[in-house]
Amino acid sequence: MIQSPAELEDLREKVRKRRSTFDRVVRVCIGTGCAARGSRRLYELFCEAAEISGRSGHEPKWKIEAKCVGCHGLCERGPIVVVQPGEILYQGVEEPDVEEIFRETVIGGRVVEHLLYEDPATGKKAQTAEEIPFYKVQKRIVLAENGNVDPTDIEDYLAVGGYAALARVITTMDPEEIIEEVDRAGLRGRGGGGFPTARKWRSCREAEGSPKYLICNGDEGDPGAFMDRSIMEGNPHSVLEGMTIGAYAIGISQGYIYVRNEYPLAVRHLKTAIEQAEEIGLLGDNILGSSFSFDIRINRGGGAFVCGESTALMASLEGRIGEPRAKYVHTVESGLNGKPTNLNNVETWANIPAIINRGGEWFASIGTEKSRGTKVFSLVGKVVNTGLVEVPMGMTLRQIVYEIGGGTKDGKAFKAVQTGGPSGGCISAAHLDACVDFDELTRLGSMMGSGGMIVMDEDTCMVNVARYFLGFLKQESCGKCTPCREGISQMLYILERITRGEGELEDIDTLEELADLIGETALCALGKTAVNPVLSTIRYFRKEYEEHIIERRCPAKECRGLFLYEINPEVCNGCGICRKNCPVEAISGERRKPHLIDQEKCTKCGVCFDKCPFAAIVKV
Amino acid sequence: MPAVTIDGIEVNVEPEATILDAAKKAGIWIPTLCYSPAVPNLAACRLCMVELDFGDGGQQLVTACNYPVRRDLIVSVSSERAVSARRGVMKLLLARSPESEELKELAQQMGVEGTPYPKVTESQRNCILCGLCVSVCEEVIGCSAIGYAGRGAERVVAAPFRLASEDCIACGACAAICPVGTIQVRIHEGTGEAEISPFKSRAKLLICEECGKRMVTEPVGKQVLDRVKIDWEEFRKRARLCPECRRKRAAAALGLAAAKSM
Repeated sequence: MIQSPAELEDLREKVRKRRSTFDRVVRVCIGTGCAARGSRRLYELFCEAAEISGRSGHEPKWKIEAKCVGCHGLCERGPIVVVQPGEILYQGVEEPDVEEIFRETVIGGRVVEHLLYEDPATGKKAQTAEEIPFYKVQKRIVLAENGNVDPTDIEDYLAVGGYAALARVITTMDPEEIIEEVDRAGLRGRGGGGFPTARKWRSCREAEGSPKYLICNGDEGDPGAFMDRSIMEGNPHSVLEGMTIGAYAIGISQGYIYVRNEYPLAVRHLKTAIEQAEEIGLLGDNILGSSFSFDIRINRGGGAFVCGESTALMASLEGRIGEPRAKYVHTVESGLNGKPTNLNNVETWANIPAIINRGGEWFASIGTEKSRGTKVFSLVGKVVNTGLVEVPMGMTLRQIVYEIGGGTKDGKAFKAVQTGGPSGGCISAAHLDACVDFDELTRLGSMMGSGGMIVMDEDTCMVNVARYFLGFLKQESCGKCTPCREGISQMLYILERITRGEGELEDIDTLEELADLIGETALCALGKTAVNPVLSTIRYFRKEYEEHIIERRCPAKECRGLFLYEINPEVCNGCGICRKNCPVEAISGERRKPHLIDQEKCTKCGVCFDKCPFAAIVKV
Repeated sequence: MPAVTIDGIEVNVEPEATILDAAKKAGIWIPTLCYSPAVPNLAACRLCMVELDFGDGGQQLVTACNYPVRRDLIVSVSSERAVSARRGVMKLLLARSPESEELKELAQQMGVEGTPYPKVTESQRNCILCGLCVSVCEEVIGCSAIGYAGRGAERVVAAPFRLASEDCIACGACAAICPVGTIQVRIHEGTGEAEISPFKSRAKLLICEECGKRMVTEPVGKQVLDRVKIDWEEFRKRARLCPECRRKRAAAALGLAAAKSM
């Protein structure tokens, strides 16, 4: 048990000294993306190799450590392995490569060229992360130590200066000073709402009633988003430290982390982190020998999207159905169990230690006037480098999509980027130079949300996108209030008709009218913002809606029935695969001669398109 | 006491009263469906939308039934924005339950003639999912025999596994509070049972030992008797009578007592 900040520093020194005895360190990413490609096995193999080499007695007698670390962000190129010294980054590593990396780099100090990142544009190889364009314009605060520390070992976090901020606030700052520091930083809630964090803390601090509760919202439910997941998996102690500082500032002794049960690794890492922090006295009773005590419990959510909404989350924590309630009385006044409750998102909490360590002014110097600091985005969709990125607020969409993301795949034309999760909106190419911050995205009819960013190219039908997101929200609506339950169903019904080619011109007006009604009358933010995907696509891609309705044509050729399949006789070599696979015998032709599709018979199922090995089938 | 000005009429209400309370005091009607003074506010139907004027140029639509009055407020029930929001919600409800006479009646009072929207969600016998039945069963009766099953458009009110619930005492409170007549108490003459439809639960009805008239269900009678701690044989006898026979018996007993004392 550490009884004072001085003892914490002693421990830190000991850890650092022990760490410095390693001559070589191999860091294997075990974030979800890399783990899915087998990186856990790579980690085991590196461990085995290190052990064998340690026993062998061969020269040189390096002391080698293999460790697992959190997500590096460049998930597209996973599994990622970094070798120290040199910070040499290998990507796309597979089991057979382990031996080579170990022999060449770890022992020999030479670089394995073929595993380095190669810039697809210039063909230039990059040895370290800094040399890769994906990382160049990023600024990592929250993700700074993701990829460096072993999330299952508190000593790793201590070695990089972990819990120094906590020690500092407990010994030298009074609660009001902490809140002022966060206020100076201008930090706004990263969960989507963008509410000033310091103001929330102060309201909760001043609210009457006890006990007060603190909640970390880790119920990230947006399709394609994994920001919070990667933080919880990769650097759980940063979240715990942020929460503990918040609890000290507000005057709270019980905290909860609400995590999706679909994030088993995050749950496991958080659990381990809590146990380790408790063990050495950084969590629990009398933290660092002070009179301040704080406990954190983990609650696992059942996977309902609506439980990311604060009041629904609290209902779920109380053991009731996860449904929102009106927020006319704020949760800082009456939240969990009717007591003052301060809820912040994972990323918000993870920002706190850095703000305390480096000062609010430093944080405020990053970003735009009203949106300070950085934001983590999960960049996915039809972009070359999918992954996790952290950029200063105010960076343009163009920079994120092109400089970091490497542009669209296969040279297709960029069409739109969807931000803010399912309730966000689609922003067209005309606004690519817009700055990414809370207010600008809202002005464009989308929102920051928790940081999902989905890139779409010319092959994406925007009406179909709106239909997809609304379908998701219809399923995830809790069904409590009329506008969300009935209104979304009505809108989805219309969109389904349009994508089937049965739309009518007045449908667009009806959609806008319904969107207006739902936005005005729905109970919670899920319903109120559910209309964004429809409104934003109508705003920027009205022509596409009209083409579906008037010309019965899907310009992106995605809506089944609104385009035809044809065989390009120049390319078709008459192999007959399409003919054999067509379920309705609509394709005819002699062997080795171009085939033909009978449009009368064709049901546009797309089997021929998928099966043709020569890409001779085209959508027209 | 904070003052609430509703459509120009000023009334004072206790702090924490709702806008709906204030409107009642001002004599202004606001349509409601999921509101009942018997249960905590649900604010689920969204029919009672009114416009709040913050006085600084900002306005916001809020639900009257649960917006707490904590300071002086200026509220508009008749503004175009509020009226169109309420009518819009009603049109959505009509699309869901087009056959409900109660809903049609209320719609008419609100100036809504039918709905432009097709029926796209299934409703169990016109149920509008106001939630009053679930609340009354849990909060007032204390049985929690019914709850919600399914989510979103699939949501229905049902007993667990959609089977007859063992917790249901067939008191009929849900039927009494249901604003659209979805829930009904059916009397089965042959078996002498009451059924809470559509929840399938049944219970035997008590029969007045004197006149044979049907009374409450057996579990209701038992629950009431369990709560009353009176060790008096006559009380238990009277509890097995219908209200009318009970009165007669009490009157007779009083007469007897009076005669004795004379």
